[in-house]
Amino acid sequence: MALPFSGRKDGLSLSEALPDRSLFILVAMMSFLAALTLTGATGARTLSTRWAGGAAQLLTIQVSEPDQPLAVTSKADKTAQPTRADAVLADLATLPTGTQVHRLTQDELARLLTPWLGDAGKTALPLPAVIEVRLAEGQEAPTNLEQTLDAHVPGTVVEHNAEWSTRLRALAQSLLACAALALATVGGIATMITALATKAGLSTRRDIIKILHGLGATDSYIAGRFAWRTGGLALGGGLLGTLLAMAPLLLLFRMAAPFAASTLQAASTTMPDWRTLPDLLPGDMLIGLAALPFVAAFIGWVTTQFMVRVWLRRLP
Amino acid sequence: MIRLTNVSWRRERKASTPVLSNLSFEVPQGGFRWLLGPSGAGKTSLLSLLHVESLPSDGTLCLLDKDVTAHTHRSVLVRLRQRIGMVHQDFRLMPDLSVADNVALPMRLQHRPEDEITDEVQSILKWVGLGDQLGVRASRLSGGEQQRTAIARAIVHRPGLILADEPTNALEEPQAHKLLDMFSELSSMGTTVIVATHNEALVRRLPRPALVLERGRLVQDGA
Repeated sequence: MALPFSGRKDGLSLSEALPDRSLFILVAMMSFLAALTLTGATGARTLSTRWAGGAAQLLTIQVSEPDQPLAVTSKADKTAQPTRADAVLADLATLPTGTQVHRLTQDELARLLTPWLGDAGKTALPLPAVIEVRLAEGQEAPTNLEQTLDAHVPGTVVEHNAEWSTRLRALAQSLLACAALALATVGGIATMITALATKAGLSTRRDIIKILHGLGATDSYIAGRFAWRTGGLALGGGLLGTLLAMAPLLLLFRMAAPFAASTLQAASTTMPDWRTLPDLLPGDMLIGLAALPFVAAFIGWVTTQFMVRVWLRRLP
Repeated sequence: MIRLTNVSWRRERKASTPVLSNLSFEVPQGGFRWLLGPSGAGKTSLLSLLHVESLPSDGTLCLLDKDVTAHTHRSVLVRLRQRIGMVHQDFRLMPDLSVADNVALPMRLQHRPEDEITDEVQSILKWVGLGDQLGVRASRLSGGEQQRTAIARAIVHRPGLILADEPTNALEEPQAHKLLDMFSELSSMGTTVIVATHNEALVRRLPRPALVLERGRLVQDGA
């Protein structure tokens, strides 16, 4: 026959000693902040990686009057001469092996200019040809490329991203450092909140703990009982905070998606559809967000274990 | 076996006057001792020391063949405490737990099988006359019932040493006599028993060697 009320009852009544509402809500708020910060950090890291790698290897070349013949000397020559754009493309073909050269099509160009010119396909303004050159990893463009092209095809403009990439990379890394600092601060606050809650719980259960101690309860038993309680509350709070953060994060990501393209032809001026948005979210960020509740639980568990064990040192 | 050699204990490290002073005595395994003395003589303090709730300020204390003053590692002291049954004057029950759960606590803390716990708890509570109150909360018990629950909790796990501080205070005479018989029986089975009391009638009923304390000093070792 089972004993009445039998089970793992030991009189600690931690649901009363450590009320769920305050710790749960505070951890949820901390996790909400951490989720936002983590997303910011992911964005900054993506930017940093992009500017350190892909974007730094990118050249954008503009050729005015692209469809005009290179140099008109006579009516007969006019048909035989290549266009200014073709001449630039021919020059670019001499760049080292592995270099990718792509002239943006009319559609791609129109899509890029839509925010400024509206339907660019119908504009009366003469549009230059835009050629995207992606250098192979570790390669640099010849220093005299702009002079060479300008001498051959006058009016050609070469925009090199390297200088901007260095500045933007420094900016992104600063943002990353700030995000790390913010995450550490959030973690520190969560630790303090847990420590205070544990301290309050210990003081309300002082006599019960002394009785258990006198009956032969080990430090790990008492610390474990408190730690699983706070760990569980922190896990729940972490889950709630992370889930609540998902709504603004998805909205921000949807707004930022058009700027995340790594090439001009992949760039889009329209925001992605809500249904396709999850596919665009970075995998490491999703892993980070999924880990947040468990990190919160771990912080709660470890902090409580430490606090209770230190408190128990007062007893022989 | 209990052996104290020149044991003194101060409530605070810097206190000039010790609560217990220069105690030396020995109780063999299975020995029974009354602990007598006026109020404030240090009986409860000595029992606390023997229950490893505090450690001697000076001297050597051996309990159940362990030198407590040499083995101050917490895990050793906890294991030792698990082998001691203590009945406090104020019972120290868990008010929110049932009688059964209170009595089961020492066994549960030792991770004994639940079947064994059920059997032992039921039989010990039946023996102390609380067999029909297994599920009653400790806070709802009368003083005598709380005392019987505390006694049941102290002996349910068959400890090697039983310490009792005025265990018959709230008991009716028949219950008190029954308890003494049980202590005597446990002692004859090899459990060391030390009972602090003011009740001279009880001492007369069970004539056993007595340790008599006065102002923290041992004035009589009846061994």
